[in-house]
This record gives sequence, C-alpha cells and structure tokens, in this order.
Amino acid sequence: MSVQQQNNGSSREMVRAEKIVKRFGNLTVLNGVDLSVKRGEVVVVIGPSGSGKTTLLRCINHLEKIDDGRIYIEGELMGYREKNGRLVEDSEANIARIRSQVGFVFQRFNLFPHLTALENVIEAPIHVLHEPRAEVTGRALALLDKVGLADKANAYPHKLSGGQQQRVAIARALAMNPKIMLFDEATSALDPELVGEVLKVMKQLAEEGMTMVVVTHEMGFARDVCSHVIFMDKAVIVEEGTPEQIFEHAQNERTRNFLGMIS
Amino acid sequence: MFEWNTVWHFLFADPNHLFLIAAWRTLWISVVAQLCGVILGLFLALMRMSRFPYLNGPARGYIWFFRGSPLLVQVLLLWDGLPRIINNPNFLLPDWACILVAFSLNEGAYMAEIVRAGITSVDVGQMEAAKSLGMRYALAMRRIVLPQAARVIIPPLGNEFNNMLKTTSIASVIGLLELTGTAEVYGSQNFVIFELLIVATVFYLLLTTIWGYIQSWIENRLDPNRTIKTELDQKSWAARMLGFGSPRPGGAGTLASGR
Ligand SMILES: Nc1ncnc2c1ncn2[C@@H]1O[C@H](COP(=O)(O)OP(=O)(O)O)[C@@H](O)[C@H]1O
Ligand SMILES: [Mg+2]
Repeated sequence: MSVQQQNNGSSREMVRAEKIVKRFGNLTVLNGVDLSVKRGEVVVVIGPSGSGKTTLLRCINHLEKIDDGRIYIEGELMGYREKNGRLVEDSEANIARIRSQVGFVFQRFNLFPHLTALENVIEAPIHVLHEPRAEVTGRALALLDKVGLADKANAYPHKLSGGQQQRVAIARALAMNPKIMLFDEATSALDPELVGEVLKVMKQLAEEGMTMVVVTHEMGFARDVCSHVIFMDKAVIVEEGTPEQIFEHAQNERTRNFLGMIS
Repeated sequence: MFEWNTVWHFLFADPNHLFLIAAWRTLWISVVAQLCGVILGLFLALMRMSRFPYLNGPARGYIWFFRGSPLLVQVLLLWDGLPRIINNPNFLLPDWACILVAFSLNEGAYMAEIVRAGITSVDVGQMEAAKSLGMRYALAMRRIVLPQAARVIIPPLGNEFNNMLKTTSIASVIGLLELTGTAEVYGSQNFVIFELLIVATVFYLLLTTIWGYIQSWIENRLDPNRTIKTELDQKSWAARMLGFGSPRPGGAGTLASGR
C-alpha cells in the first residue's frame, strides 16, 4: 500500500503515528506507539516520568529520529521519504518546512535570551516565512496581547517570570500560524502560582479550535479541556479514551495506580 | 656604547618613518590574518562539530596539524616547500602573501577550538527551539546560536589578536620587514641592533596597549549586567554589543543633558 492510499479519507487527521519505535542505545523509549490526532482535537498524554512522553512529542516534529514506524503530519510523511520502497532521511528543507507548521512549547521555554519578547516572536516569521516585518510585528503584538503580555514586548527574557516566558514562547510558536501545537509539560518548570496563567492561555487556544497534543501532569486541565487522554507507561500506550473513561473508569491497573498516586 | 640618540631618532624624529611603516605592516598583517583565521575557524568548528565523519575527520586532522607544529615551521614549509611541491623553482609567493596564508591557516586552527567552545556553551535547547520554528541549521546558527556564542568567543579572540600582533615577528625570517625585521636589518647594517630592537619593542607595546584598551571596552560592552542596563534602548543586538552610537545609560549622556 502506498503512502498516498494510506492517507486518503483521513484528511481531517493532523497527526498520525504508526508503530513508532525509538531507542537510545539499548533502551527502548517508544515501543510501537500509535497516535491519531484529528483537526481541532486536544489530546492529553499522561504517564509517569521516563515513560517516553517527551520523546513521543520530539519524534512528532523530528527533533528525534525514529527507529521504526511512520509519522504523518497532515498526511505528509515526517522526516523521511520513500525511495524504492524504503525510507530515507528527508531533505533538511522539507523537514524544516513541515516543522514550521508544528508549534512546539518546551518545558524549559527556550526563549532566545539575546532577543526581546517581541523579537522572539517575529524572528521566525520574518526569517523563515519571509513575511514583511511590519505585518509580522502587528501580528506579534496582537499575540503578545492575547497572552497578556502587551506591556512586556520590549523586555528581555531574563526580566520575565517563568510564566511570562512560557507565554511568550507560546506566542512565538503561534506567530508561525501552526496547524498543530505540541506542549511538553509546559507548566512543570513553573512556580505553582504561575501555572494558572499559562494553563489559561492553553485553554483559550483549545477553545478556539487549535489542534493540540499536551503532555501534562495537570489533571484538572486534562479533565476540562481535552477530548482524548492517552496514558503511557514504560514506552507503550497502556490505555486511552475519553477523559471520563480514563479518569473515572480506568480499566488497567497501572493507569489506576498512576492516577491514584498523583491525585 | 648604547646610543640613546638612535632610539630617540627612530622613535620621534625619523623623516622616513621607518618604524611607523613597519608598525603599519605588523598591524595590517595581524588584522587580515586574524580576520581570515576567525572565518576559517568558524567553518572548521562547524565541521569539527558535525556528526558526519567526512566533515569532522578532516577538521580534526587540520586542527591537530596546525596546533601541533610550530608556526615558524609552517611558514618555512610554505616559503621553501611550495615551489618544490609544485615543481617550479621560479614560482614564488610574495613574502607577504606567504605570511598571510601561513598565519591565517594557523590561526584558523586556534580559532576553531575557541569558536567550538563558544558554540558548545550555548544551551542545546536554543538550536532545538530554532528548529522547531522551521529554521534550518545554517539560519539557526547565524541568527540564534552564534550571537549567543559571541559572548564566550570574544574575550579569547581578543587575546588571540594580542598574540597575533607579537607573533608577526616570525615574518622577519623570510625577509618581510615588519617591526622585528626592520630592527634586525637596519640594526645590523649600522651596528645599532640593540637600539633598534628597543624601538621595535616600544612600538609593539604601543600596539598591544592600544588593543588592550579596545578589548576591555568591547568586553565591558559584552558584560551581561551592562546589557540589562541598556536593554531599553531599541537598537539591534549587534549595535548594542559593539556600542555603535549608543549613549552610555546614566553616564556621560545624562550628565551632559543635565547641564
Ligand atoms: N537523549 C537521550 N539519550 C538517552 N536516553 C534518553 C534521551 N532522552 C530521553 N532518554 C530516556 O528515555 C526515557 C524516556 O524519556 P522521556 O521521553 O523524557 O520521558 P518522559 O517525558 O515521559 O518523562 C527515559 O528513560 C530517559 O532517560
Ligand atoms: Mg518529559
């Protein structure tokens, strides 16, 4: 079956991961993980530390190479192309092009410290999408306003709190008009009192219909916002379903143990 | 008998500006060789850090060779060896070209290690964030990583240039009349070699001292505490770092305007 046929009739599918295998040396971090995210869906990934959640997100936008399986972003094979029936590494330009449509929010923000908040946001649209600076700046200011940081446009990251930095990072990703946003424990590095302001932004995004994959330990957020919960443990998806199925009627004992432990 | 008159003459009263011209030679050779060395070092560092063996292998070998053998030998290899390698005894690189090539190649090896240390000092999350925004490697390097690495690269780069100013004396062995060569040639002709070496030393000290001031001024500009203070001015990062036309906050500018 060719790539094309496989993806017909699934145009609403923004991310599709098939049997992803990822190893670091002898350690298998993802062992046949499947994932499907439809347009407008918010998928939350939960699971104990070291279960492979971060690695899964990083594989989706090809920050990590996968050892087996396939990942499609809107039907396009990510990171590889088919050549004589075999997969070979895709060109850098192609990988970058697909990545530019996938927003990634890091646990540790990773703002560019030598640029102001505004400069952080306009950097990629100007230099990657080659959009006119004036236009981008207008959009960037609107985005900073949206995340509640209109007054911090000219501040350097080190002058911002963790919560503010993470909101700038979200605005930075949004400035690329991504088709999907990936959040890797976006609030884990924050002081407890700053978590709410970031979750609020994420919640608003979800309500506006943004397609999102969210790795988080914030079960409240998962319950309120998401349409699908995935529980991972030891490199595999143990159980998945609606928030109600997972949070109220988990079938698997590992899921119940995990949920019992963190709530 | 030491002749102070001679020293005085060549320092202040030489109508031919013999040493001034020699100092100028020393200076431009240093500047050009350092610039070439920085550019070469940048590419060597990137090659050296590549995961492809056919890129990092040659870079390793290059750095190993040029850091592991004396510059003097490298100059002589180029000067005496090149005409023989290409098997044409009439082919001669002009002395200045030979020196520039040898110095640049050598400096490139040292700069490669300095640039590599600078790039390594930047958190890997910076490159990943840039890539996640759709930047390609070269763009991410240029716009995101190198500007941050510059903070770490520039202080040792300044020391390299200080060294370079003095190391140019090696050029005298192939007869290029920079400061040391000038002192030697004119000194031994007129039996005042010691006097002229003193003159050359004064010029070397002048060059390195002036550079020392420029260096500390640049490093002061790079001081993170300073960036915090200047962060409200809207200039580009490069302008801020090199301080083109930006008034010193709370400094002379405010005092002057208060008057
Ligand atoms: N770059 C790496 N090299 C080696 N091992 C890694 C690397 N990144 C992650 N791992 C390992 O992979 C496993 C899963 O990591 P991760 O995906 O970060 O888990 P989670 O995000 O669920 O906590 C862990 O055991 C971790 O130590
Ligand atoms: Mg993680």
